Amino acid sequence: MSTVTAAAGIRAPRRIRAGRIGAYALLVVGSLLVAFPLLITISYSFMAESDIITFPPPVLPKNPTLHNYEQVLQAIPIGRYLLNSFVVSTVVVIGQLITASLAAFAFSFVQFRGRTVLFFVFLSTLMIPWEATIIPNYITIRSIGWLDTYQGLAVPFMATAFGTFLLRQAFLQIPHELHDSARIDGASSFRFFRSMVLPLTRPALGTVAIYGFLSTYNQYFWPLLITNQTLMRTTQVGIAQLRFEESLRWGLVMAGVVMVALPTLALLVVGQRQLIRGLTAGAVKG
Amino acid sequence: MRRLTAFALALAMVAVACGGGGTGGGAQDLSAQAPGKDVKPATKITWWHAMSGVNGEAINRIVKSFNESGKGIEVEAIFQGTYDDLLAKLNTAIASNAAPALVQVYDIGQAYMRDSGQIIPMQAFIDRDKFDTKDFEPAVINYYKYQDRLQSMPWNASSSILFYNKDAFKEVGLDPEKPPLTFSEVADAAKKLTKKDASGQTVRFGFGPSIYGWLFEQLMATSAAPYADNGNGRDNRATKVLWNSPEAKAILSWWKAGVDGGYFYNPGIDNAGSTNAFNSGKTAMYIESTATLRNTINVAKFQVGTGLYPRPDSKPKDGGNIIGGASLYIMKSRPVEEQQAAWEFVKYAMTPAIQAQWQSDTGYYPVVKAAYDQGPSKEWSTKYPQFTTAINQIRNSPQNRATNGAVLGVMPQARQRTQKMIEAILLGQASVDAAVESAVSDMNAQIDKYNKANP
Repeated sequence: MSTVTAAAGIRAPRRIRAGRIGAYALLVVGSLLVAFPLLITISYSFMAESDIITFPPPVLPKNPTLHNYEQVLQAIPIGRYLLNSFVVSTVVVIGQLITASLAAFAFSFVQFRGRTVLFFVFLSTLMIPWEATIIPNYITIRSIGWLDTYQGLAVPFMATAFGTFLLRQAFLQIPHELHDSARIDGASSFRFFRSMVLPLTRPALGTVAIYGFLSTYNQYFWPLLITNQTLMRTTQVGIAQLRFEESLRWGLVMAGVVMVALPTLALLVVGQRQLIRGLTAGAVKG
Repeated sequence: MRRLTAFALALAMVAVACGGGGTGGGAQDLSAQAPGKDVKPATKITWWHAMSGVNGEAINRIVKSFNESGKGIEVEAIFQGTYDDLLAKLNTAIASNAAPALVQVYDIGQAYMRDSGQIIPMQAFIDRDKFDTKDFEPAVINYYKYQDRLQSMPWNASSSILFYNKDAFKEVGLDPEKPPLTFSEVADAAKKLTKKDASGQTVRFGFGPSIYGWLFEQLMATSAAPYADNGNGRDNRATKVLWNSPEAKAILSWWKAGVDGGYFYNPGIDNAGSTNAFNSGKTAMYIESTATLRNTINVAKFQVGTGLYPRPDSKPKDGGNIIGGASLYIMKSRPVEEQQAAWEFVKYAMTPAIQAQWQSDTGYYPVVKAAYDQGPSKEWSTKYPQFTTAINQIRNSPQNRATNGAVLGVMPQARQRTQKMIEAILLGQASVDAAVESAVSDMNAQIDKYNKANP
């Protein structure tokens, strides 16, 4: 009897361990599949053009070279482009967080006539395609003389219906009793917003921030439209400069892509810890 | 990119609707449209272009030398993304009067630019100054004419040629100095060049052109067959496309037979894919733009040969090659002083020395013939003897409406529609006749719509 239990006791963890190894193996395969485009980009960026075009296509560089990176640095002022993109994206994120959280607070905690109607009108702007607004926006920005400026690049994107919607849903999770008791304790609406709502919805704020950052960072047409000086251009426009109209050199383009993608990846790694911490904190306190 | 194209075109319709008609009749003198001869050129103008990388640097070099040439005019060259991006940006800018004085637009945008009413035809300046264009390469300059009047100045011109792998030719016992010329010769050579491994897998195809509308346009031209009516849209605006001619069907049947027979490779609608397949030795011959020639010579690990573009077995003597690329337009919305300055720059850019430098920097054709006598151009020909084929091909091309190439307001759509048509035929989704008829009726409806919107 006891031997059986002992044996079972030994076998059980082993089975768990085997299961865990299997799970990890699956996860490794899965993550390789997901990361494949990124990995092949990095690999190609270290390959000479004559190696890339061989058939079958190579996976790893046979003779790794930094030549492509040197060429990118020679061809375009990528440092300046990165700086521009960071400045603009950061300003947009700050602007979006402020406007979206305040608007979402009004839509979830403040009672006023026509709130629901207004909210739906707000949401319906999500359905207007950017193609329809781009010319009026361009004319506005041009008439206030903001072409080739940071404010021209950033201001049109500082309000976001999507972010407001996301934050409103998060704010609605906060029990109304909290609001009531805060009021009873004499907290102003703003105090409640600052010391209760914002800390409790950090994961949602993080999502809005990351989403806003990446979509601004990846913008192509708007920055192309309103900038003419090389020094005011952003990264995506810069990468387009590496694409030659008639003959594409993949190694060069991939090196440019890596240089542009790395800072955002680093940001995601740093931001992710913060995000998860926020997520679990919210979950436990519920 | 396709979305941007659609966007650009949607905008185009609007701009055209507001802009008014074309240039009107015959070969009358257009000088009246140009600013007066005594207008003093502006001190600064802007030029939008779509040339990146090496070509962009070549442009900056020309602009720098112009600015330092003591003419008192400063040209600012600004890269505005791809041709499609640039056109989309131009449309936005026109709407708010922020267009530049000089702008580079791709070949298939020429009818749109003319119909927009936003340009001063280059012919106006040529007539006013009695500027001599005798030395201009006829095949290049004729591509940008409507009713024999030059609308824009050719800038980067290329053509398509046959590329072949000399090592593979030697390997299978073909003469590496004698590339095939006619459809039958290409097919025969392709059969010999196709190689299978032990398991029956094809490791090398004889011939592998991309499904690229431009190549079909070129095949029509070497067949001496017009692509559209009314003199390929050059005598008057085209009303229908002629893709259902016997010549067109012969081209498509030849292509289809090669793919079905397993000796033509079909990379799909993928120009870069067909280039890579050739450069890596997966195909032994293909057809592409001369603009890719230099890169291919530099990366390929075999000897690259070039031959004349394929043509029907009857070798029609009216057949020849069209050019492709882009040209420069002077915009009407800018003050006359700026137009004058833009013309000064265009004249400078067309001098033989600058054209020779442009050729050796980029690999495009010089627009003026005298450029070939200049140092940089001679060095280039020595370094890349394969390029001589391309020059001779354009030189020997008879000049008629078929070889001038087609102009349609909806040329980008026409190109896409032919690609869909060819793809359907090669994949066996439709017979040649059925695919051609449905493409022609689709396209004619679009042309009709465009013509009605731009009376």
